[in-house]
Amino acid sequence: MSDEQETPVSLQPDRAPEAVDTAVPSAAAPTTAHRKKPKSSLLRRRDVLAAATAAGVGVAAARLVAWANEPPFTPVPVTGTQGNKTGLDWVSPLNTESARVAHLLRRTTFGATQAELEKAQSDGYAKTIDRLIETPIAEPAPFTGGDDASQDKPLNIGQLQQWWIEHMLSTPTPFGERMTLFWHGHFTSDFRKVSPQNPFIYWQNQTWRKFALSDLRTMLYQVTIDPGMLRYLDLATSTGRNPNENYSRELMELFSMGADAFTEDDVKAAAKGLAGWREPLTQAIVDAQLKRAMERGNTPKVPPKADSVKTGVFERQRAYAGAPYAFLGETKVWNTDLVLDKIVAQDATAPFITRRVVTHFAMPTPDDAYIARLAASFRKTKYDVKTLMRDVFMSPEFTATSSYRALVKTPIEYMVHAVKALGDPSIVRAVMGNQMGMGQTLFDPPSVGGWPQNESWISSNTMLARANFATQIVTAAKKVASAANAHQTHLDGVLSAQTLKLLNEATDDRKRWMLVFASPEFQLK
Amino acid sequence: MVATLTKLNRRDFLRSGLVFGAGAAGLAAGYAAVPDVFARAVYAGKQGGVVNDKVLVMIQLAGGNDGLQTVMPLKDATYRDLRPQLSKSVDQALPISDEVGLNANLKGINTLYQQGKVAIVQGVGYPKPSFSHFDSIRVWETADPDRRQQDGWLGKTIAKNYDSAGHPLVGCACGSTEIPGALRDLEATLTVVNSQQSFKFNGGDDMDKAMGALYTGTPGIYGALFDTAVTTARDTIAQLKTSASGYTPKAQYSDNAKLVYSSKNQLAAALQLAAELIVTGTGVKVLHVTLGGFDTHYTQQQRHDDLMGYLDSAISSFYQDLAGHGMSDRVLIATWSEFGRRPRENASAGTDHGTAAPVFLIGDTVKGGLHGEMPSLAKLDTGGNLGYKVDFRSVYQEILETHLAVDAKEVFAQSFEPISVLKSSALATR
Repeated sequence: MSDEQETPVSLQPDRAPEAVDTAVPSAAAPTTAHRKKPKSSLLRRRDVLAAATAAGVGVAAARLVAWANEPPFTPVPVTGTQGNKTGLDWVSPLNTESARVAHLLRRTTFGATQAELEKAQSDGYAKTIDRLIETPIAEPAPFTGGDDASQDKPLNIGQLQQWWIEHMLSTPTPFGERMTLFWHGHFTSDFRKVSPQNPFIYWQNQTWRKFALSDLRTMLYQVTIDPGMLRYLDLATSTGRNPNENYSRELMELFSMGADAFTEDDVKAAAKGLAGWREPLTQAIVDAQLKRAMERGNTPKVPPKADSVKTGVFERQRAYAGAPYAFLGETKVWNTDLVLDKIVAQDATAPFITRRVVTHFAMPTPDDAYIARLAASFRKTKYDVKTLMRDVFMSPEFTATSSYRALVKTPIEYMVHAVKALGDPSIVRAVMGNQMGMGQTLFDPPSVGGWPQNESWISSNTMLARANFATQIVTAAKKVASAANAHQTHLDGVLSAQTLKLLNEATDDRKRWMLVFASPEFQLK
Repeated sequence: MVATLTKLNRRDFLRSGLVFGAGAAGLAAGYAAVPDVFARAVYAGKQGGVVNDKVLVMIQLAGGNDGLQTVMPLKDATYRDLRPQLSKSVDQALPISDEVGLNANLKGINTLYQQGKVAIVQGVGYPKPSFSHFDSIRVWETADPDRRQQDGWLGKTIAKNYDSAGHPLVGCACGSTEIPGALRDLEATLTVVNSQQSFKFNGGDDMDKAMGALYTGTPGIYGALFDTAVTTARDTIAQLKTSASGYTPKAQYSDNAKLVYSSKNQLAAALQLAAELIVTGTGVKVLHVTLGGFDTHYTQQQRHDDLMGYLDSAISSFYQDLAGHGMSDRVLIATWSEFGRRPRENASAGTDHGTAAPVFLIGDTVKGGLHGEMPSLAKLDTGGNLGYKVDFRSVYQEILETHLAVDAKEVFAQSFEPISVLKSSALATR
C-alpha cells in the first residue's frame, strides 16, 4: 500500500517569504505580507491536496499578493496570436523556425528558460536536434546509499524520486532524461514488487539512462537481465524445467512485438528459452541476510558470496536442457540471445516500438504509412534509437500544423516544467506530493503496461490536481521569476481568448504564473 | 454554426474522434462539421431515464484473481496434484458446501454468506479467452470478447439511462486517477473522486471561476475533453458541497493492511468514500473501485491470502456501514477480474494466467448460495486451463435487468442465457 513508503512532504517553504532579502523594498508591495506565518507541517502525500488549504497556504487565487521582496508588478500587456480565433483549433506558429525550435524543446526537454530557448533558436532547428541527440547523457550524482540498499537500509523511495526530479531540473541533457522517463514507462517496473530492500529499482534507472539512446537489441538484453525486471516479471524464478511465463509474455506483448504477433505456444517456448537467470547479491544484502541468520542461530557453513555485477547472473543448471522446440515458427534449443534475436527479426517489432515513440513524442494518432516509413529506417539501422529519434524530429509530420499542441504533457513533464519556469528549485518537493493525484508516480506505474498517454491524463480529478498544483507552487515559491514574458517563452504567444483576457487582468507575477500553469495551453506539448 | 455548438456535442464529437483514431487535422476541421442531428441524438438518448434507488458497486480485482484459491475445492484429488504447495491451505478453508470452501481469510464474507447475502457464480468466463491482462480487461470492460467495442458496459448503461451531464456523480470511480474502462463512454459524463473532503480547488471560489473561464471553448483536439473534465470537476465540487455533511461511518474501515505484493489501491478507503457518496445522497448510481496485486506468478500463497484478507475486511466494513445506514438493500456489490489462474501451479510457487473464475455478488437482494458450476479440474483444455460454465455477460445482464432495472439488450445489443442470482426488485420502476 502506498502509505508504507510515503515520504513526508512539507508544503511550506523553509522560511517565510517576507524574511527573504527585504533590502529591496517595493513601494507597490505591502510591507506586511497578508499571509499567515507558515507553521511546520509534515504531511503524507495523499493529504497534500487537502492540506494545502487547511494549513492556510492556499491563498485564494485573486488574493495572491506580491511578496515584500519582489519588484513591483508591471502589468505588461499580453499580446499574441489569438489561438482560437477560428474557434476550432490552435493557430499553429510552426511555419517559423523559432516556433519549431520551441516546439522541439517542449517535446524533448522539461521546458526551456528564456535564455535556453534563445540559445536554441540562434542555433537553429537542425543544430538543436544534433545537440539534443549527440550530447552524451549526463549522469546524476550517485544516490546516497543507493548501492547499499538492503533489508537493514531500504531505499527511501521518496528521496529517490526527488533525486531523479532534481536531476531532470538541473541536467544539461534533459533529452536524456525524457528518454529515460519514456523507457521507464515502456520497460516498466514498480518499486512495490521489486522492493526497496535492494538497489534494483535505482540501478534500473541508471541502466535505462545508460542505454536510452543505444539500439533496441542491446536495450532488450539489458532489460531482460536487469535485476529489477528479473524480479518484477518473475524471470529470476523461472527455470527450464518449470518456466514462468510472466516475462516471456510481456517481453513480446508489451516490450517489443505487440499482442496478436505471437501465440500462447510462443509464450511457453520463449519462457523456456529465457529461463536460467537469478538476481545478483550485493555485499549489503549478503550482510543483512547473514545478520538475520545469526540472530536465528543458523549461521550457514559457507556464507553466500556477493556478486560484482549489477545485472542478473546466468546459471546454466537452471536453464532449459532438452530437445529442440518451436518458437515463432523455428525449431531449435533457444536461449536468451536467440530469443531476442528472433524477436528483433519479426516484422511486428520495428513498427510497434516506432508507434510507441511517435505517440509519445510526435502525435497521438499517426497513420500507418508514417509509422512504416520510420520503422523501415529504424530496422535498417539495426534499431538505432538515435536514428529513430532524429528521423521523427526531422520528419515534416513532426512540425506539421496538425502536430502543434497535439500531445498532453505527462504529469511529471507538466510539474517539472512549471517548477523550472518559476525558477525556484526549493519547491521541487511539491512535485513529489502531487504525483499520485495527477496519476504518475515515479517508480510506481499503474501496471506492467506503464502509463497511459495523452487523453488519459485528462479527467475531472487530474485537472483539479493540476490546478491545485499551480496554486500550491506559486504560493509556496520564495521568489518567482518575472512573468512578463512567460506567455511567449512557454506558450509561444498562442493563446485562447480566455487565457489572454485573464493574463491581462492578473495583478501580479504570481497570479500570472498561476494562470500560465493552469491554462490549457500549458498542459499541452 | 460554431457559435451554436453546445459543450456536449462538441465534446462527444471530439472524444469519439479521438477514440476512433481520426487524425488530428481531420478532427480540427471536423469541429465545424458537427451535425445538429448528432447533438439531438445525444440528448434524446438521455430522455425517459430510469428511476430506481439502486446503486451498483463494481470491485475490480486487477491482475487476475486465482479463483481456485478463493473458492477452494475441498475434496478434489486432482486439485492437490496440480497444486502441491498451494493446496495445503485448503485445510483452513471455510466450507460453504460439501465440495468447496472459501479462502480462510474470507471470514467476513463467509459470515455474510451464512446470512444469505452472498451469491457466488462459479466458472465465469468467456469463449476463446485471452491471456493478456490488457486484452482480457478490455473484454470484461466492454463486454465484448471480440474486442471491437470501445465503450465500457457501465458507461453505456449510464449513457443510455441516466442524465449524467447534469449529475456528474452518476458514474464515479473512487480512489483512482483515471476513469476505468468499464465506465468509459463517449456520451456519459463521469467523474473520479479520491476524497470527498479534498475534492475542491485550493485556490477557493476564485480559482474555481478562473478554471471555468480558462476552460471554455478551448481550441484543439483535446479542447472539448479539457472543458468537460473541468466542468465535471466544478459540477462535482458543487454537488459535493451540498451533500458533504451528514456521514458518520457506522463501521471501522482499515486501510492499513500491509500488502507485500504490488498494490496501490486502497480498497477500504475507496469503499468508505463510496459509502459516503451513497449515504450523503450525491446521486451516485454506478461506482467502480479497484484492488490490484492479483498477478501472483510468484510465491503466491502469502500474497494472495493477504489480498483475500484485505478484500474481506474492506467489503465487510462497507456492508456493515451500509446496513448501519439502512442502505444495504439498495446497494449491490459485485467483483470482477480479467481472468482466473492456471490450475497447475508453476515452479515459483505461483500461478500463470488462466481462464474462468468465480464472481461474487453481495447485498441484501442476492439469492445467497452457489450458482453456475465449478469447471472440472480433470477436463482441462489443451493449454491446461479451465473451461467456463457461465458467460460473464449473463451475470452483467442479470445485474442490469434485476438490480438496476434497465434494458440490458440496449447495452449489449444481444441477449445472453439468463442466470437468476438476484431477487427481483419490487422497487424498480421504469
